[in-house]
Amino acid sequence: MKQTRELATWLMVTEESLLASEQTRGATRALETPAPVAVRVRGLFKRYKDGTEANRDIDLDVRRGELISILGPNGAGKTTFLRQITTELRPSAGSIEIFGANAIAAPQTVKRMMGITPQEAGIFASLTVREHFELFARLKDLSKAKARAAATEVINSLDLVPEEGKRVGSLSGGQKRRILIGLALLGRPRLLVLDEPTTGLDPSSRQSVWGVIRRAVTDGATVILSTHYIEEAERLSDRIGIIAQGRLIALGTLDELFSRLERSYRVSYRDPLDPFGDLCVHYFASFKEAQAHIAQAELSGYSIARASLEDIYFALTGERLVEGEAEAKA
Amino acid sequence: MSRVTDISSVFRIQLMSMRAEAGPFFLAALVFPAGMYLFANAVGGVARTPEQSRLRFLAGSIVFSLSLTSISWLGYLLLENRFTGRLKLFATLPLAPSSYIFGFLGFAFLQAALGTTVLLLIGRAAGVGMRPNIPMLALVIMLTVLCLCGFGVVIAARARSFTEGSLLTDALGAGLVFLAPVYYLPETMPHGLRFVSRLLPTSFAASAVRTTLTGGYQVGTELLALGLMAIVTLALGFRLTKWRED
Repeated sequence: MKQTRELATWLMVTEESLLASEQTRGATRALETPAPVAVRVRGLFKRYKDGTEANRDIDLDVRRGELISILGPNGAGKTTFLRQITTELRPSAGSIEIFGANAIAAPQTVKRMMGITPQEAGIFASLTVREHFELFARLKDLSKAKARAAATEVINSLDLVPEEGKRVGSLSGGQKRRILIGLALLGRPRLLVLDEPTTGLDPSSRQSVWGVIRRAVTDGATVILSTHYIEEAERLSDRIGIIAQGRLIALGTLDELFSRLERSYRVSYRDPLDPFGDLCVHYFASFKEAQAHIAQAELSGYSIARASLEDIYFALTGERLVEGEAEAKA
Repeated sequence: MSRVTDISSVFRIQLMSMRAEAGPFFLAALVFPAGMYLFANAVGGVARTPEQSRLRFLAGSIVFSLSLTSISWLGYLLLENRFTGRLKLFATLPLAPSSYIFGFLGFAFLQAALGTTVLLLIGRAAGVGMRPNIPMLALVIMLTVLCLCGFGVVIAARARSFTEGSLLTDALGAGLVFLAPVYYLPETMPHGLRFVSRLLPTSFAASAVRTTLTGGYQVGTELLALGLMAIVTLALGFRLTKWRED
């Protein structure tokens, strides 16, 4: 269903299919009955020593078993936000509770419940893939036997079986990234915090990682991940938070975010006089309005689609996550 | 139990990750001190000097080996972890910073034990007259390593770059040996330096190693000084090694 919705969003579609697509949004992934809160953030504020205010007044409740994506461009404050949740960075003000424990006062306690993939972290080139998982599983308080079993589970789920005996130094960047994700998954933590987990991965590896993350959620894990990939946020998330200039400016299910758009039909085309120029994008309140514009402008090559998360992001921030599109609102 | 597991896991991670460089690493810990022993003998004209000098050179080489192991190379490993992002990986775990450092100390003890053993064998082969008091020597070496490792940990935690940290650990690793009366008598030093150099940990270590190599026990002052210095340097190192930034 998710794939259908995406295709309907991005491809040239008919009015009927657009309406059908609209109806499918009724079956949202929003949780019908709110689950207990896994992560509660209140009034989070982070000012660095140089005076930069990286996060401002962020409130967020993440329910158990929920997957929340934090979306935003580089420098928006996503990583700062996640690093405070993982206890790596001390907030300037505000509070963070993880499964009821105070993350600021008891970082070790909350880290026992978390699996974390930092945006950038090094691994040991001379250790093999299996050695990494087994040794780091021991540091997560797993017994030898459980560490071995956890390593096998992660190796299988991340398609690293052919590489398990290889030294990490000989692996590709994408494989190393998967190892970092696997280290977070060891021991099936209750909360996964993944900072741009699929950055640098090829499309196939990205799909594989998405599958692993979704499986973790199915198994009961709560996930907070940051991304600047629209597709990743759309496909994986129960709810999406949008961060811009340090503020959480929007939070909701995809449908809730779509409902913020007054003009949710998107026509894009290239100027026939400048075929190599930027893509022109216009928004309309209805399909008919969009069609009227196409007829009036005598466009021959164009694309008409329902608005995407990218459009919502643009409507909220005035900026594009995907570069190369001329911003033109009808 | 968890803490012991943590320390041993960090130790194993470091040990296993050093497999590829193990040969050069241990060789380097021996080549410099063994070379210094031979050099000091040659320069000091060992054929004409009393047995006491040869013992001083051997003890000095053991302290030099410990200094290189504990400050230069331990510092290098800690710096490497910090500036290649591996430290971040440890910081994501429910691991106390002190367990992380103790894991490295285990690695330093292993190197120190190997280096000292080989130097004792070289001394024996070179005919240095000694009756080492092994338990006391082990205690002296342990406290020396703890004290000197503290310097490495502090530098690794505070350095602003890998290059800066490496230069500092190298300079300190060698400097603490050559600025102290380790290879030579304190009387041969410039007057102003004499008193200060006697307070360096390497001075206490060299004195204690010399005494225990001849079977002596009278190293109470040296052990106390090294113990106190170890507490201060390691406490500072623990304090500066943080998982959380402000």
